[in-house]
Amino acid sequence: MSSTGTGIQPPPRVIEAARSLPLASAFAGRTKVLPILELALLIAASIAPLVLRDYITVYATRVLILCLFALSFDLVWGYAGILSLGQSLFFGMAGYGVALLSRDFGVGSIFAVLPAGALIGFVAALLLAGFLLLGRHPSSVVFVSLGTMTGAYAADRLARGSHYLGGQNGIPSIQPMTIGSHELSEGPGFYYLVLAILVLIYLLSRFLLRSQFGLALAGLRENEQRIAFFGYKVQHLKAIIFAISGAIAGTSGSLYAFHEGFVWPNMLGVVMSTQVVLYVLFGGSGTLIGAVVGTAIVEGLSFWLSDNYRDIWPIILGVLLLLVILFRPLGLISLVLGERERVGRFGPSLKEKRNAAP
Amino acid sequence: MNTLLIAMFEILSFGAIVVLVVLGLGIIASMMGIFNFAQGEFVLLGAYVTYLVHSLGLPVPLGMLVAPVAVGALGFVLEKVVVRRFYAAPIVAMLGTYALGLIIREAVRGLTGGLYLSVPEPISGSITIGSLHFAAWRGVIVIITLLVMAASHALLAYTSFGLRVRASLENPQLARASGISTGMIYSVTFAFGAALAGLAGALIVPVFSLFADLGIRFLIQGFVAVMVGGVGSFAGPVAGASVIGTFSAWLPWLMSPVIADVLVFVLAIIFIKFRPQGLISGRGVNR
Repeated sequence: MSSTGTGIQPPPRVIEAARSLPLASAFAGRTKVLPILELALLIAASIAPLVLRDYITVYATRVLILCLFALSFDLVWGYAGILSLGQSLFFGMAGYGVALLSRDFGVGSIFAVLPAGALIGFVAALLLAGFLLLGRHPSSVVFVSLGTMTGAYAADRLARGSHYLGGQNGIPSIQPMTIGSHELSEGPGFYYLVLAILVLIYLLSRFLLRSQFGLALAGLRENEQRIAFFGYKVQHLKAIIFAISGAIAGTSGSLYAFHEGFVWPNMLGVVMSTQVVLYVLFGGSGTLIGAVVGTAIVEGLSFWLSDNYRDIWPIILGVLLLLVILFRPLGLISLVLGERERVGRFGPSLKEKRNAAP
Repeated sequence: MNTLLIAMFEILSFGAIVVLVVLGLGIIASMMGIFNFAQGEFVLLGAYVTYLVHSLGLPVPLGMLVAPVAVGALGFVLEKVVVRRFYAAPIVAMLGTYALGLIIREAVRGLTGGLYLSVPEPISGSITIGSLHFAAWRGVIVIITLLVMAASHALLAYTSFGLRVRASLENPQLARASGISTGMIYSVTFAFGAALAGLAGALIVPVFSLFADLGIRFLIQGFVAVMVGGVGSFAGPVAGASVIGTFSAWLPWLMSPVIADVLVFVLAIIFIKFRPQGLISGRGVNR
């Protein structure tokens, strides 16, 4: 029941000690897969709307929004070892929040709704983290997952029961998002907007995780107790990353609300949380690119298969997830990405150091 | 006065349902250290088996007998094939059983066509005492719950099988060295927990109708109850289930059911936050 043992943390990863190992220089010349993969995906995503038909572009936009959502779950689970089974809470709350802004106040400007969504997610996550993670006793993983799951379930129930929030049907026909006087409707325009936001947040997360903060997080995931002995405030680190991920989920939720044009209780509840767990575990947790790849593969397959196999598709998805957990605990991304690249390199490499020295 | 008695009966019968659902979850969590996220779906499966037997034209009580056996057998197989790989990593076990639950839930959703299906009560009508009427089936649930609880406790506390289960829990290495096949014990314990969930599903399906998301609600309720009660002992989950069941049945008399439902969970989470060891801390089965 303790969350401190190493045995119950996510699968261990090796932190590359590039600075101290002479061996590292031998690997420095090896081709890196990660940047190539990232670049290839970016290029593929950039030209996709040019070759795809319009309705597929609309679908792809939704997938990109869900990628953003998956990133937020990956940050908490893959990097900080917090099993948040209620990530949809922030996604859905932000969605509902901006839907209300649009319905009751007629606000649809992108410069208002996206920050609003991020803020809602951030505050909600901060409050929940403050309750679940902070305190005298360190919280067990089971408790945190149960607490987040309960949060999502409760929000779902309340939204379904609330007349103000539209009950079972949610809030329909949200106005289109606007940039200045330009109305943004579904299609390539929206697609590129979401892509730009995704790339921006991806890069920010990447930067954050390769910083000192990210190093502390990685240590925390591997051995929480030891990081605590080093004097880090473990619970504070967790709360911070949780709140950041809430903000990302909120951004994604508000984009989703405006893209789909409506919000409904499933966005808040266990259904959506399950989805995001699935994406990230499938792709590979603890690598940002894994979350993106997982989302793209799962949603791509379901677009392709659900027409013909609508009834059994969710079952297949469950079986695939189980197989990945059993046989590829690091996700599909581990097929192409080596262990040392998953974590990346912290601080300057030997070569750079040598160059810097007179 | 009459209303009060009726309310008491309602609370008692609902509490019994929760205890029944939680018992299997609690035994698996306490005895094996695995938080089985598929437990809600085992309940669902028990309900589905009962419906299936009923829809074949066979009597409902027969379905209720078949359900625990079928779900227990499935639990046994799943433990052998999947769950046993997870003992070293309880967190991965949560994810793995979560995936199992997803498969079962979606399979049942496909089989039922996403509909709400109902199964008639095997014993319908009501028992009349003076001017009071009690639903007979709910009375039966209460009685069966008490019997199952007593039997499970007796099994774990007084039989040689129970002794071996407790030995495997306390010290697996020593148990193995003493010639106890811990692998088999774990399989049987998991199957037993699954069978209890199956029985719970079978008994409650006439009260709640059968639908694919039946399990989720009971899963959260069960987990909350186990943690409120305290993991590790036999009495803990039962106590937690009684408390949660009582509140879940009582609060809707005071406020709207939606608020009550949510409030119970929120209060429980707050309670666990400040008392992580639960109502009854300790390990093992008290005799």
